[in-house]
Amino acid sequence: MSALRLVSNRTSQQALSNSDYTWDYEYYEYAPVSFEGLKAHKYSIVIGFWVGLAVFVFFMFFVLTLLTKTGAPHQDNAELSEKRFRMNSFVADFGRPLESERVFSHQMAEESQSLFHFCINEMDHMNKAKESQKGPNLESNTHFQEVPKSSGMFEEDLHCLTKFNIPNFVNTEQNSSLGEDDLLISEPPIILENKLVKQSSHRILD
Amino acid sequence: ENISDFSLNTTDCTQVVVPEEVFFTVAAAGILENLLILIAVVRNKNLHLPMYFFICSLAISDMLGSLYKTLENIFIILCKMGYLTRHGDFEKKLDDAMDSMFILSLLGSIFSLLAIAADRYITIFYALRYHNIMTLRRASVILAVIWAFCAGSSIAIALFSYEAATVIPFTILFPLMMFFILCLYVHMFLLARSHAKKIASLPSSTVHHRTNTKGAITLTIFLGVFLCCWAPFVLHILLARFCPHNPYCACYMSIFHVNGTLIMCNAIINPMIFAFRSPELRSTFKKMFNCSR
Repeated sequence: MSALRLVSNRTSQQALSNSDYTWDYEYYEYAPVSFEGLKAHKYSIVIGFWVGLAVFVFFMFFVLTLLTKTGAPHQDNAELSEKRFRMNSFVADFGRPLESERVFSHQMAEESQSLFHFCINEMDHMNKAKESQKGPNLESNTHFQEVPKSSGMFEEDLHCLTKFNIPNFVNTEQNSSLGEDDLLISEPPIILENKLVKQSSHRILD
Repeated sequence: ENISDFSLNTTDCTQVVVPEEVFFTVAAAGILENLLILIAVVRNKNLHLPMYFFICSLAISDMLGSLYKTLENIFIILCKMGYLTRHGDFEKKLDDAMDSMFILSLLGSIFSLLAIAADRYITIFYALRYHNIMTLRRASVILAVIWAFCAGSSIAIALFSYEAATVIPFTILFPLMMFFILCLYVHMFLLARSHAKKIASLPSSTVHHRTNTKGAITLTIFLGVFLCCWAPFVLHILLARFCPHNPYCACYMSIFHVNGTLIMCNAIINPMIFAFRSPELRSTFKKMFNCSR
């Protein structure tokens, strides 16, 4: 393979005059480098660089993890069953927003709404893509049914802040995402000037 | 001075050679993957959104990087077979053109990542007005400006690559952009955290509260992959400019081929962490492959 040296002669031209331009490689060998009397290991820059890079990446990861800590305790099984119940009751009484969701939705800050709407847009695109002609509850049921199949994927499916795994918007737990869809469907009564929001909500419903 | 007959010291750092087959395979995989993404976005009307335009821009710059390496290999083979002379003006111009293509790819990658981060930032912080702020037309204009700037800079850098004045800004731009992107994402994270706290404090809230490491992992992967793939090359350029005769620097520069391969790996990994996360894009792929059967 010695004949096959790859290109990139930019800096090698520094030492050579212009007429000596060649395709040959040896990126830097325009003067023999003496390796006598090295105090440290000869690959010390390589090792130091990669170790430094690894340390930096881990440090960044830890800082980010600390930033995303929410710090409150787990709430497990009671929550799951409650959500399942709410889901069933929603399907049964379609169109009547559940009390708790209504309260919750009215209490939301605009920031939360902004996240919703991004998620709504994403869901909107998903809906369009599916070209579903069915009615609204069937449509939303389709979503809900799909979630168990791709348990961890719904979060990524939204491709939005969901990646950051905000609880209640996105979660790897299927039931929490069901809760989110509950909220989305109970959204329409929220009066927002943004036409887009209404349209997307209506699209989800219709 | 014939380069090929330098004397080999026994303690020398010889060039670490990556086999040609590996180079070609990695480059071809990168080109194909990114080409698929471009085709999918063009074919599916649902994907004509600013977000996907920026992802396409990233795919194009990745493709350019892999294309550069492929062309380089091909030219070496042509040289070996004698179709191209080793000396000459034409080859010099060709080499300059290819160098500028490579730098264009690097700059394009950086700016595309920046555009993707900014787009997500606007989506989150200005969500209600997002569709007015980031229209398709504006996204196209932004992309045109970015690529014009990258093209101009890459040509300038390739022509004047011997000056320290080009190397230093180039190597400063890299960490600066990374830092800026990191700041954008960290701000988004902080919002997510404050949201989580608000939601957790609501009386009717029944959500899980736990440490969400998934977002941290995602962001670390985004930036970590980019850093690990491009930083070695950037350091190489710095060392080549400032300490080419130093034995330590020379040893670092001997792994140049590995650095090049890393850049091509970046072209393969980037679609996976950006484009393939979108379900719409994935379903478009499935349709494409199902139709072709």
